[in-house]
Amino acid sequence: MIPILSFSEIIELILKVLIFPGLAFPLLFAMIVIWFERKFLARIMLRIGPLHVGPLNRTGLFQPIADFLKLIQKEIIVPDNAYKILYNAAPIIASIVASMSVAFIPYAPKPDGGYWMIYYTPWSLLVILAIFTARPFIMVGAGWASNSKYCTLGAIRAALQLLAYEVPIALSLVSIVIMSRTFDLAKIVEAQSSIWFIILQPIGFIVILIAMMAELSRRPFDIPLAEQEVVFGWPTEYTGTQFALVMVSEYFDLCAVTSLITVLFLGGWSGPAIPILNDVSPILSGVFWFLLKMAILTVIIIMGRGIYPRLRIDQLLDAGWTLLIPLAIIQIIITLFTAQWWIPLLGGV
Amino acid sequence: MSIMKLSMGPQHPITGHFRFILDVDGDLVLKLEPDIGYTHRGIEKLAEKRTYLQNLPLIERVNSYCDSVGTMLGYLEAIEELMGLEVPERAKYLRVIAAELNRIASHLYAACLFSVATGLETMLMWPINDRELILDLLEKLTGQRITYTYPTIGGVRFDMSEGFKEEALKRLDYLEKRTEDYYKMLLWNHTFQIRAKNVGILKPSDAIRLGIVGPNLRASGVKADVRKDEPYEVYDRFDFSIPTGKNGDSYDRLEVRFKEVEQSINILRQAIKDIPKGPIKKWAPPIVPKGEVYTRVEAARGEFGYYIVADGTMKPYRLKMSPPSFRNLIALPYLCRNVPLADVPVIYISLDLIPMDVDR
Repeated sequence: MIPILSFSEIIELILKVLIFPGLAFPLLFAMIVIWFERKFLARIMLRIGPLHVGPLNRTGLFQPIADFLKLIQKEIIVPDNAYKILYNAAPIIASIVASMSVAFIPYAPKPDGGYWMIYYTPWSLLVILAIFTARPFIMVGAGWASNSKYCTLGAIRAALQLLAYEVPIALSLVSIVIMSRTFDLAKIVEAQSSIWFIILQPIGFIVILIAMMAELSRRPFDIPLAEQEVVFGWPTEYTGTQFALVMVSEYFDLCAVTSLITVLFLGGWSGPAIPILNDVSPILSGVFWFLLKMAILTVIIIMGRGIYPRLRIDQLLDAGWTLLIPLAIIQIIITLFTAQWWIPLLGGV
Repeated sequence: MSIMKLSMGPQHPITGHFRFILDVDGDLVLKLEPDIGYTHRGIEKLAEKRTYLQNLPLIERVNSYCDSVGTMLGYLEAIEELMGLEVPERAKYLRVIAAELNRIASHLYAACLFSVATGLETMLMWPINDRELILDLLEKLTGQRITYTYPTIGGVRFDMSEGFKEEALKRLDYLEKRTEDYYKMLLWNHTFQIRAKNVGILKPSDAIRLGIVGPNLRASGVKADVRKDEPYEVYDRFDFSIPTGKNGDSYDRLEVRFKEVEQSINILRQAIKDIPKGPIKKWAPPIVPKGEVYTRVEAARGEFGYYIVADGTMKPYRLKMSPPSFRNLIALPYLCRNVPLADVPVIYISLDLIPMDVDR
């Protein structure tokens, strides 16, 4: 039976799905982050970066939009040998799957109880983990469907890389769950109302940050996309709109990952209330703190591209299995031994 | 898994105008076969149709965007030896200054490419920026940024301009300080070290057997430099050392280049200090007497050999070049056997090959 919604509930649902954290937010996030990444890396490299497109003088703020418009005008080329259905579907599935996980993340508490999120479920952590696991299969599928040698090599690398990051992520989530005794992301945030998990579990934070960078294929671990080795990895053959979708889906993933780490380790929306925002709505204040923490994480993740060379796939697997997994297990052991003192002090559980 | 033939290049982000045919098994490269000739311009044959003086800009284009002075010096040495021409002192010093500036520019360029091969784009931009300072200096000296045609038969074409000495010393000081940043950013970067160390190890005995020249040979630990072994121009008057590597891996090949930049700065300082006054050019007849000669010079990429047969006319009967990149190319298939695919760009760039130089 479909529950009957009141008018204000319908308005709220539309706001959530279309504006924040639904459709508009990941797109805006992608646009701002692409622009920021280009400007920021340009400054590191003593370049100028995008300059002319956009409202403010000499900032190039609208450069990502101009690039996107250019890409959607281009011809979509499908290779003759490609397995056409999967090849054409992969970019669309990739962007949908990537933006899906945002629906399960609580961005702020509502004053009348409940959370500002699209779909509430007590198992949201597991759902997001499952969505993240789907991504490598899209990469492998797209690489295989392109039926090109470099795409295949990139897809193999993506599949190998999965082995390096998937287990450390799951293991470091274990210690979070031990600490908060729930799979509900909103409850995990509320458990951090007195002390953030980054202070209680610094090792777990580092492990999950590194593993998530590998999951996102960011610079030290952008092995499936390694330009100098496999041209562009699994999306080599994509052109025009399909390429734009592939690119945007990476930034959707970045949005989801930074949101998740914020929720798990940085206390989500918790922070002192901002008076101006609080007067409008207490939700805005929570969202402000959430976005600020996301921004800091994004800068850290982007910075890798400016200062690190790319690792080799065997070196990444080596690091994953001999460094990240033992560290995550050590974190679990520490958590198990210290949980009896910490859990009574945490709020909300 | 079956073996896959992979064609890498000439349209590939790292290969330049080369094509490599790889036998790939999973992520392992079993065999690499270089396919050269994409930039073949027939310079050796063209040179027979032109006079010795007309050949100067042509020869320069063997290796135009990196090391044109070093390339030309060997040709001029050969002709001047056939003619029995003694070049004025000041011209010799100016040639050394131009050649060493060019060597610095070339080595900085090599460092850029190396960091691109490992995926560190920041170190692409930093040395390129500083290479621009050197190119500006060369522009001040010769009037051009890339292709100078600066040394000519019997001397050099232009004298130092006003204020060149001070400007050069200032920029060399800056570059010496800047090298510290490069070490911090690239050579001491742990991630870079694990990418470049123990990759493409060339043992000294193998290096000598394969006929490797230049910084690649010195990185394997062999002390060989034409500037010391058979000094040409005025290199015997300068006090400088030959940096060598220990392991002969890709990391050493880059480190040797950085150390050579320091030695070049050292030579430049001495040359700018000691340069005598006098004429910069001696008149040379257009006809070269009959005979044949082989000379070699140390260009930025290594030993550059010229074999010229003159038949007593204005044009060479035969001109044969032995460019360093072609001689170092043989190390590439040798080193790229049973290496991961990710190491192929690193080994290729660490040898600092230039397609134009290989094909001529």
